[in-house]
Amino acid sequence: MEASSLTYAASDAPGVPNPSPVGNVARPGPKTGRNCHLPIKKAAIADAHAPSVAIPLRFVVTGILSLFVGVIWLAFRPDILATYHYNQYVIAVTHLFVLGWISSVIMGAMYQLVPVALETRLHSERLARWHFVLHLIGFAGMVAMFWIWDMKQVGHFGSIFGAGVALFAYNLVRTLARIPRWNVIAFGIASALFWLVTTMLAGLFLASAKCWPQINPFEPTASMHAHAHLGVVGFFVMMLVAVSYKLVPMFTLSELQNPRRAFASIVLLNAGLLGLFVTILIGSSWKLAFTLVIIAGLGLYGRELFAILHARKRPALDWGLKQFLTAISLLVPTSVMAVVLCWPKLPATELTAQLENVYGLVALLGVITLAILGMLYKIVPFLVWYTSYSKQIGRSKVPSLSDLYSERLQIISFALFIVGLAAASISTALSAERIVQWSCVVLVLSLAVFAVNMGKILSHLFRPRLAPLSIPSPASRV
Amino acid sequence: MTTPIIDESFVLNALRQVIDPELDCNIVDLGLIYDIQIDGGKVRVTMTLTTPGCPMHESIRWGVQNTLLKLEEIDEAEVDVVWDPPWNPAMMTAAGRERTGVVL
Repeated sequence: MEASSLTYAASDAPGVPNPSPVGNVARPGPKTGRNCHLPIKKAAIADAHAPSVAIPLRFVVTGILSLFVGVIWLAFRPDILATYHYNQYVIAVTHLFVLGWISSVIMGAMYQLVPVALETRLHSERLARWHFVLHLIGFAGMVAMFWIWDMKQVGHFGSIFGAGVALFAYNLVRTLARIPRWNVIAFGIASALFWLVTTMLAGLFLASAKCWPQINPFEPTASMHAHAHLGVVGFFVMMLVAVSYKLVPMFTLSELQNPRRAFASIVLLNAGLLGLFVTILIGSSWKLAFTLVIIAGLGLYGRELFAILHARKRPALDWGLKQFLTAISLLVPTSVMAVVLCWPKLPATELTAQLENVYGLVALLGVITLAILGMLYKIVPFLVWYTSYSKQIGRSKVPSLSDLYSERLQIISFALFIVGLAAASISTALSAERIVQWSCVVLVLSLAVFAVNMGKILSHLFRPRLAPLSIPSPASRV
Repeated sequence: MTTPIIDESFVLNALRQVIDPELDCNIVDLGLIYDIQIDGGKVRVTMTLTTPGCPMHESIRWGVQNTLLKLEEIDEAEVDVVWDPPWNPAMMTAAGRERTGVVL
């Protein structure tokens, strides 16, 4: 990403402009704050010093393709969901979803959104390009090696993936170090980065332990569960919570209502996850207590989100936000399942084993995937619009973001997804393999409609729709 | 011989061509323009955005400059983006509120 030579931040002192917008022009006061001031003469129009969207876009496209492959894979192999989960195929598909789909999109979006959300610049675009190469090789190799269960190669490809994560974390940490003032969003993002690195290290340790079992003093299934919760709660859910505090107010014309409550939600998530990780590893019944701490954090998050929405100035919610909020509401059944599954002395039956599959399914395909699909209707139109139209504002008539896609297709895709997810969850719980298969077919249909809509958006990269502006004429005097 | 008069309403009219693509509304009706100063062919606009860290920051700022510099009557354009006072929906015009569905 190119560096901007100017810093944009809040003014430290009042009195810069007229508090009411023009119409009634007032005289501006002294420029005591760091505001954006850019004089330009007609002969010296330069290009905007804009960040490149190529990097986030390639991560997002990689993610969407991985999601497609993953759901088609499930349609062909419904036994992956319909039978107990601890086998090589489940682990391969799970890593395709969590690394290929979810991590790709979140990382790509972070490269674009963290600098703007925190009013700073990305430390290095070059490192981000290298990260993408390592990410692609790393996760694709890992998924393939999990499938054939060659754990030595999983370790090798995992190390490549880990090198990419290291570049990503370094780049983002350096970016965070530049922010003018820390807030709850920065705290959440920094926490998510910490848990991402921890998850990656835990994963590499687990791969090593498959080759040299003597190095792992913990029970293998417990180790895997601990690793999974680090990634899902620590990186995915934490990012979801942190960016919500910026994006939901931004899109609904509202404000964060209680920063202390928001801050407390992230503190509880961090504290709960730390305790949960340890107690899962050692098989302690205290994991229920730490699960409840995490749920308390999510409760505060839900309360703050409700307050933000209640204070919004724009009553109508677009479908991207509706989809996002539906995903957030699925945290409720996911939390209930989490409590049930970590209940002390829960009998190990076929049903409880299948409930673990449903828990993972609803968490990954319900909460996280649905939330990302909703947000992609914000992120992808923005990236494409920025590439095709940002330099055209004031030169030509440009479309709005919502003009880039079909709302009708968005609703159809959303409805199909909900039906497919509900059917897949119930049939997984009942081990009904045939119904799991048809549910996955419905999910594939949903994603196909989604892909058509994304194609409509991406077509603006190659064929921008511009119209001439009408130039106003000044009044004349004789 | 006629001399074109560049006044505030002329500049505002021109700036109505600049939209916030997320809200699908022009920046004048959104109430983002705080101040306009005109000195011959020089125009200085003081404006804000709906939120600090708005992803459209660069685009909208450049849109204002493009729009002004495209006009024959304007030789030099300056744009100040300020965050104080922070924007709020009460600054929108009635037309802006109607277009975006904002209720105060």
